[in-house]
Amino acid sequence: MKSPHRIRIITNNPLVVTVLSEYYTIEYYEGIGYRDILVKVRDLVYSGYELLTHPLAGSVKPNETMFKSIVVGTDMKAVEIEHCNLMMNAIITCDKFKPRNVTYSDYHIKDFQLIDYTLLCGALDFDAIAGLSKANINSY
Amino acid sequence: MAFRVVHYINQFFANVGGEEMAHIPAELREGKIGPGLAFETAWKGEAVITHTIVCGDSFFAEHEKEAKETVVNWVKEIKPDLFIAGPAFNAGRYGYACSNIALEVKQQVGIPVLTGMYVENPGADYKDKILIVPTANSAAGMRKGAPMMAALGLKLMKGEKLGASCEDNYMPNGVRVNFFEKERGAKRAVKMLLNKINGKPFVTEFPMPDFDRVEPGKAIPDMSKVVLGLATSGGTVPKGNPDRIEASNASHYGEYDIEGWDSLTADGWETAHGGYDPVYANEDSNRVLPVDVLRQMEREGKIGKLHRYFYSTVGNGTAVASSRKFAEEYAKKMLAAGVQACIMTST
Amino acid sequence: MKLELGFIKINDVQFSNECAVKDGILYVNPEDVKAFVYDNDDVKSYIKSINFDIAKPGESVRITPVKDVIEPRVKVEGPGGIFPGVIAKVDTVGSGRTHVLKGAAIVTAGKIVGFQEGIIDMSGEGAKYTPFSKTLNLVMVAEPVEGTKQHDYERAVRFAGLRAATFVGALGKDVEPDEVKSFETYGIMEGAKLFPELPRVGYVHMLQTQGLLHDTYVYGVDAKRIVATLINPTETMDGAILSGNCVSATDKNTTYHHLNNPVVAELFEEHGKSLNYVCNIITNENVYLADKQRGSDWAAKLAKLLDLDAVIISEEGFGNPDADLIMNCTKQEKQGIKTVLITDEYAGCDGKSQSLADSDPLADAVVTAGNANMEVVLPPMDKVIGMLDYVDYCSGGHAGSLRPDGSIEAELQIITGATNEMGFNCMSAR
Repeated sequence: MKSPHRIRIITNNPLVVTVLSEYYTIEYYEGIGYRDILVKVRDLVYSGYELLTHPLAGSVKPNETMFKSIVVGTDMKAVEIEHCNLMMNAIITCDKFKPRNVTYSDYHIKDFQLIDYTLLCGALDFDAIAGLSKANINSY
Repeated sequence: MAFRVVHYINQFFANVGGEEMAHIPAELREGKIGPGLAFETAWKGEAVITHTIVCGDSFFAEHEKEAKETVVNWVKEIKPDLFIAGPAFNAGRYGYACSNIALEVKQQVGIPVLTGMYVENPGADYKDKILIVPTANSAAGMRKGAPMMAALGLKLMKGEKLGASCEDNYMPNGVRVNFFEKERGAKRAVKMLLNKINGKPFVTEFPMPDFDRVEPGKAIPDMSKVVLGLATSGGTVPKGNPDRIEASNASHYGEYDIEGWDSLTADGWETAHGGYDPVYANEDSNRVLPVDVLRQMEREGKIGKLHRYFYSTVGNGTAVASSRKFAEEYAKKMLAAGVQACIMTST
Repeated sequence: MKLELGFIKINDVQFSNECAVKDGILYVNPEDVKAFVYDNDDVKSYIKSINFDIAKPGESVRITPVKDVIEPRVKVEGPGGIFPGVIAKVDTVGSGRTHVLKGAAIVTAGKIVGFQEGIIDMSGEGAKYTPFSKTLNLVMVAEPVEGTKQHDYERAVRFAGLRAATFVGALGKDVEPDEVKSFETYGIMEGAKLFPELPRVGYVHMLQTQGLLHDTYVYGVDAKRIVATLINPTETMDGAILSGNCVSATDKNTTYHHLNNPVVAELFEEHGKSLNYVCNIITNENVYLADKQRGSDWAAKLAKLLDLDAVIISEEGFGNPDADLIMNCTKQEKQGIKTVLITDEYAGCDGKSQSLADSDPLADAVVTAGNANMEVVLPPMDKVIGMLDYVDYCSGGHAGSLRPDGSIEAELQIITGATNEMGFNCMSAR
C-alpha cells in the first residue's frame, strides 16, 4: 500500500506543488532543469535514501520536457547498489539526448507539467483528475 | 579510372618466408602480391592494387614507430583511394600489425582503411576504431573472406553509406545502424526462441554491453595471517622503467621486488603510464600502489605479510586479451608463492 | 479456447450515401458513423466536431497527430463483443467467431497536448517505416469543446475511435469472409496431453502504464491497477487490450497492434508443430519501483506455475520500461525459463550511445526493432489530415523540424509504429 507518509517528492514542477502540497512532503526546486533533479536525487540515493520511483518515468524525452518529479524515502537507510546504478544510468541516458533548441510557449510548458504530474500521480495511486479539480485547475 | 589501392601484407603472405623471415623491414613493391589477386578479381577492374607493402611481423612489433612512419609516408605519397591490410586470419602478431597500421593510416592520412581477421585475433580489439571484416581462423578462409573485404572496400571507395554490420560484413563496431530484415521482428523472435530452447546456435541482434564482470572472491574473515599481493594497471615501475613497459598499449608486465622498501618513494619509483598526468604518481608512487599503508598494517599485524613482489603494467589502451594473458601468468606466480589475497589498483 | 477469424478482404474505401461492405469495397456514410460515435456522453460533452477523411496507400497524404489506429472487427458468434468492458459488456471474449475487415483501419487524430506526435505518411520515405501506410485508412479528426481538460479529451477521443471502429466493423457481420482461420489454445493438462513432446511457450506481454497518454486498458481496467495476470491469446484478437497512449508513437502499441499482435500470430504459426503455445501473461510498466518488483515477480511466478519452458517478452516504450524488461528477463532466466526479448533502441542520432537504460548479461537473446533516434527527412505531402503545428515540439522533433516547404526533418520516433516492440515490422539494427 502506498501511504503519503515517509515519502518525499523531489520536483521542479510547480503544478505538483500546487496540487499535491496538501497531501505530500515536497521538496520544490524552482527553475532548475530535468538533469539537475536527476543529480539531486542521485546524491540522495548515494547517501542512503530509498529511491521509490523510476527516474526516467514517461515517454516524453529528457531533451523535451523540462519537468521531473521523483519520489524518495524520508529516512536514511543502507545504500542500495541497484538504485545507485539506476540513477547513474538515468543520467547517462539523459545526457545522450541532444539539445533541441526549441522555445516553448506557456501552453507547451503547462502540458509538460501536466504529463509529469500525471506520471507522478500514476506512481502514487493518487487520483490525478480529482486533484486538479480540487485545486480548481480547470482549463490547464 | 579505376580506384587505386595500397595493400599491406606480412612476410608469410608475400611468400618471403615464415617465422624465420619475420624480421624483414617494411618494403614497398609495385602491383599486387598474394591475396591482392583475390581482391582484384572481385573488383573486376573497378579498383586496382598499385602497391603492396610487405613487412615482417617481428619487425612491426619491435620497431612499431619506425614501421608506422615508413608506411604512412609511402601512403601519403601514393595517395590511394583505400588502404587495405591482411586478411590476418588468426595470426596474432599479423592481426595486431594490420589493425595498428590501418588505424595509423586512417588517422595520419585520412583515407578509408580496412582489414580482415578472425574475430578472436587480438587485433580485433580495434574493431571500434577501424572496419574489420570477420574471416575464418585460417588461410583456408581466403576464398570467402577476400570477396567480402573487396566488396566493403569498394563501397568505401565509392563513398557509399555504410550499411549495418551484418549487411556489409564488418565486425560490430558499436555504431548501431538500422536496416530492413526479410522477416518481421516477432517471427525472428520465435525462431531465436526455438533455437535457444533446442540448444542450437543463435545470434542476438542487440548484444548487451560486455562488462566482463568477475565474481569477487569470498570474504577473508581474518587478514592477520594472510600473505597479500599487489598488482596494478597504473604503470608503477622502478625508476628508469627497466623493462620498458610501453606508455600505452602495453605488450608485457613487470615483476618488481619491494623487499626492504617501506614506501614507494620518488627516488626509486615512477609510473610508465602515458594516459594520465604522471606528476602526482611520480612524486609519490604510493598514490598508485599503497605500499606505505600496507607496510604499516603489516607492522600492526592487521595483515600477515606483504608479498615480496608486485606486478605492474600500463592499462592505457592495452588490449583486453593482452591484459587477460598477463594476469593469468602472474596470478599463477602469486599462487605458487603462497599469496592468498591480492589488491589490484587501477588509475 | 478457440476463436475463428473470418477475414473479409477490403480493397477500397469510399464515401457513400450508404454504409456497407460489398465486393471488397467498404462504403461509408460519414454522417451515419458520426451519429453512432456521438451516441456517448463523453463524446457529446467534450468533442465539438469530428471530420472524416480517407487516406490510401501511395497517396501524397500525411496524417498527424495520430492518436490511435484501430482495425474494424465484429463478433459474429460466441460470448461478448469487440472491446469488452469499454464498448461491449465485460463478457470474456476470445471464442466463437469474429469477422475482420482486413486492409481497413480507423485512424484517430487530435491534438491532446502541445508536444504530441505520431505521423503516418501514405507515400515517400516515411511510408517505409509505418505499417499504416499500407492500410486503407478512414481518418477521424476530433476537435475538443473549448476548455476541455486533456484527460477528458483523451478519453473522449479514445471512445470516439473505438465507437467508429465498432460501427464500421459491424458492416462485416453478414459478409462471407474470403478466408477463415482458426486459433486455439488448450487448458494446462489438455495441452500437455496433446503435445507431450513440445516445449511449453508463453508470451510475457508488457503494457505501457505510466499516466496520461501513457496508458493501456484491459477489459476496460487501467492496467496500472492490475497485477500480472493470464490472458488467452484469442482474447486479444477481440479487443481485450486497447491503447490509451500516443506519446513517442514509434514504440507504442496502437489498438490495431493489440488486435493483430504479431507475437501471438507467430507463436500460433508454430503452435502444435515446434512448440505448445500455452498462453499470454500480461504485466505492466509502472513508475513505482515496488510495482515493478511485484509485476515481474508475479509474471515469473505465473510462468513457473504453468510449467513454461520459454517465453517471449515484448516491451512497450523506453527508459522506465527498460527496467521492467530486464527484471522480467532475469527473473525468468534465473528460474530456468528461457527468454527472447523484443525491444527497440535509443542509440543516439549517430548510433553510438548505449541503446537501453538497463542491461544484464542474462539477456542474451534480443530482437531489436531499430534505433528510434535515427534521423529521417519526410518529404512534403500534397495534403495534411490533422495539423502540423506541434512538429517542432514533439519527441523526435527539434527547432526547425518543420521546414518551410512542408518537409519534416526529425527522428524516427515521430512516426507511428516505426520501431514497434511487438516485432510488427521488419526493421532492425546492428
